[in-house]
Amino acid sequence: MSPDKLDLLQGTLDIMVLQTLLAMGPLHGYGIARRIEQIGSGDILLNQGTIYAALVRLQQGKWITADWGTSDNNRRAKFYDLTARGRKRLEADVLNWRRVSDVMNRFLTTPTSPKGTR
Amino acid sequence: MIPSLDRLFSRIRAAFSKPDLDADFDEELAHHLDMLTDEYVTKGMSESQARRQARLELGGVEQTRELHRETRGFPWLEQLGLDLRYTARLLSRERSFSLIALTIIAIGVGLNTSVFSLVNTVLLRPLPFAEADQLIWITNGPPETASDNLSGITHRIDAWEGLQESNRALDQIEAYNPFSLRQSYRLTRDDGTRETINEIEVSSGLFPMLGIRPLHGRFFTADDALPNGPPTVVLSHQFWQNRFGGDTSVVGETVRINDTPTLILGIAPRLDAFASSFYPAVRIDCYAVIVNENRRTWGNTIALVGRMKPGITTAQATTDLALAMETTRTNRPDLGDYPQANVLRLHDHIAGSLRQPLLFLSVAAGLLLAIVAFNLGGLLLARGAARGKELALRTALGAGNNRILRQLFTESATLVFVGSLIGTGLAAGIIHYLATNTAVAIPLLQSVRLDTASLAFTLLISAGTAIFCGLAPAWRLSFGRSPGFSALKDEGRSSTATRGMVRIRSFLVISEIALACGLVITAGLVMRSLHNVLDLDLGYEPENLTAVRIDLTGDYDEHTADHLYTMIDRVEALPGVTGAGLTDCIPIERDRGWGISALDNPEDPESRRAGTGAHVRIVSAGLLESMGTRIIAGRTFNRTDGADREAIIINQTLAESFWPDRSAIDQFVMQNGNAMRVIGVAADVRHRGPEIAAGREMYMTNRSWGGSSWDLMIRSTLPHETLMASVRTALHEIDPTLPLTQSRPMTTLVNRANSARRLMASLVTGFAAMALGLAALGLYGVISYTVTQRRKEIGIRMALGATGGRVSREIVGRTLKLAIWGVAAGLLGALAAGRLMDSILFGVNSFDPTTYLVTTLAVVTCALLAGYLPARQASRFDPMHALRSD
Repeated sequence: MSPDKLDLLQGTLDIMVLQTLLAMGPLHGYGIARRIEQIGSGDILLNQGTIYAALVRLQQGKWITADWGTSDNNRRAKFYDLTARGRKRLEADVLNWRRVSDVMNRFLTTPTSPKGTR
Repeated sequence: MIPSLDRLFSRIRAAFSKPDLDADFDEELAHHLDMLTDEYVTKGMSESQARRQARLELGGVEQTRELHRETRGFPWLEQLGLDLRYTARLLSRERSFSLIALTIIAIGVGLNTSVFSLVNTVLLRPLPFAEADQLIWITNGPPETASDNLSGITHRIDAWEGLQESNRALDQIEAYNPFSLRQSYRLTRDDGTRETINEIEVSSGLFPMLGIRPLHGRFFTADDALPNGPPTVVLSHQFWQNRFGGDTSVVGETVRINDTPTLILGIAPRLDAFASSFYPAVRIDCYAVIVNENRRTWGNTIALVGRMKPGITTAQATTDLALAMETTRTNRPDLGDYPQANVLRLHDHIAGSLRQPLLFLSVAAGLLLAIVAFNLGGLLLARGAARGKELALRTALGAGNNRILRQLFTESATLVFVGSLIGTGLAAGIIHYLATNTAVAIPLLQSVRLDTASLAFTLLISAGTAIFCGLAPAWRLSFGRSPGFSALKDEGRSSTATRGMVRIRSFLVISEIALACGLVITAGLVMRSLHNVLDLDLGYEPENLTAVRIDLTGDYDEHTADHLYTMIDRVEALPGVTGAGLTDCIPIERDRGWGISALDNPEDPESRRAGTGAHVRIVSAGLLESMGTRIIAGRTFNRTDGADREAIIINQTLAESFWPDRSAIDQFVMQNGNAMRVIGVAADVRHRGPEIAAGREMYMTNRSWGGSSWDLMIRSTLPHETLMASVRTALHEIDPTLPLTQSRPMTTLVNRANSARRLMASLVTGFAAMALGLAALGLYGVISYTVTQRRKEIGIRMALGATGGRVSREIVGRTLKLAIWGVAAGLLGALAAGRLMDSILFGVNSFDPTTYLVTTLAVVTCALLAGYLPARQASRFDPMHALRSD
């Protein structure tokens, strides 16, 4: 695998999955994986298999539900959908993520002290 | 619901619906792969190439499945379920192995739990009284001689009151009258039924101080103890059950006790902590209250129990009470004697003498458990070796060492757990037997229970056993065994691995024999002690001797003595009765001491020498003969002796202490102001119990002193009930009001006195027998294992001309070698631990050579027997058969 791809931070995959479901509506595992890869446009190092661990985790926490259905090309597939609890969690997570990334940005853009303090 | 809890529950649920979820996920995964494959095919790859690329993109099918499972459930939980199911299958297949293993674990755990419960109740737990740590026992004489003489440990009412006034360290001092139990009374109900009752007097504050509450009604208050108040009693639970059928309406009923109308105030609780602590195995029917004014003129009659103020130590209490007693002596110069107040923790007073025996019993039980663990370890090792092929196969199929280790540990832990459950049931049975046994004189025995502490202990020893027996062999098997593939190929050949295993098992067996040998020696010593105690010359013959309680009412005078002799005559005339006599002081139960001094000149009271205390027995003529107590010099009483308090019989010890250089016959003594002539010297009687040496004793007749409560000692070989039927008929002809409800074979009393020793001896012997059996089983196991392992070698040797006899001699020789190592270690251990036993042995040295020799021979014989069976089997090998089979 190419060394310049990003390793996903702990917990970020869960947010991506929830956000994908919010944006796309009910979707199966393959679709979610594809969507995340599309948006990441090749920057993300994603083992598609790990999606399923995230899906199980989210399902057990009742943030998403799963149901068998039929996909576009007439295949039986499991579709996942966001629950009210999932929506709430996503809002909280997004807020939290924004704050963290703001702080990180500010932190990293502050110019280094010219004197070089100890 | 909280998301994290939701997750937890679904993960646990997932662990139990694995097949369904796996199928579900496989389908989902298949869909994902199909989609990916389609995508790559569209991009122009070939079908097979696309499928391969799809798997890569996914990150591996198996890996994804594993990740999914881990997130979904608890893999360890699933594995545990698997292991348990596998274990259950395995153990139900190997039925005889499981049965043996479960039995020995159950016995080991059951006995240890029982012994622990006993030790916990008697020694470890505080006494079942309110804040029992602050309770002390205040004796008069030094505590060391406390068991010697009731008069020496008790106080006068004045001394008690003086201590109450002058002490600073105690909250409360309460009393009971141990002499009151000497006396029995006649209880008559309105319906005319009569009963001989044993009553004990307590101060009104005793039960409240101890925190004992009545089951029904109430206990005494200070008002009940006022002089000339209406007499009251509280019934003991067992008396209430047996005589009043547990009818609560008796509270408030008036009964007659020795013709005095007496009000029943209440019923004592079923588990009467006072009775079971102070009077184990003694029948108490009623409690009465000490009325100080009625007892003030009496001598030392009351035993004192005190409660220290919080924060006071026994040392401080000792100093304080000594000071208080000095003040008391100054304030009340008529106290007489020289009363002291010595302090002992109440727990030490009640259970102190049991500390050594119980400690010893715990050690014995612990050793047995160790043998069980070694034995089980050996069995598991042997079983593990037989499964070498199976384990190798599982390793070859990809099971990791950890996985196999866990499987093996699950197996042994399951065995230990199930065995311990059975053992707990066994312990419950043993404890129930002990707690309901009213003939064993161990304090608090009735309150022994299988409680939380016992169960925690069981859990602890089971866990210890499981870890020792399970983990050690499991570790050896999964890491230390020869490489998997060679095990697959040549199972059954004598490889280094099997040789190593034999070494470990031999070590286990030697340890077992050593421990068993130590236990057997101990049991031998304890049994010899018991026999020594049983063989003691008590100074009387308890066999074929029955004690019938005779309670008189009214004043005692000359006619009463005649009346008593009429009774004796009637009973002696009965067929099958060879002698009868009265005593007011039956051995084991009753005792008291009076002062006596030698008198050099009977005419001159000033010629009396320094006095001494001696036990007093008031008896009828014929008593000594019917008891079987020998007269060593002089003569026995006749029916007219003692009318003017002129005749006395003393025992050998007293005679020798007064007149070491000449015969005591016709010498004079001064007793209670009377100059009495010694008419006879009787043999010493171990009155207080077989293990307590006789003290100084004196006998005076029922014409010298009266009494209202007597025991008619009847010598007869008739069965107890037959005898009692004719005795009742005969005596009721003279006095139809006699209750005659308390009659006991003297052997019952002697057995009760020996009960604690007997119980311990039988327990230790049982432990030793089981230990020996287990050691023999272990030895048999390891020898027959080596025989099986070396079947081929033995076959070759026999084909080359070795005789069966020679082969079996060799095998027996190997057994003997193991046995001798074990016995040697056991002997060393026993010698090292011998000193610890001194206090519980009786009449036998802890290094008694005979016992050592006999028990060692017994152990070696057992070992030889265990080796002989496989040896005989080996000597019958058919060489051809042995060579071919592999």
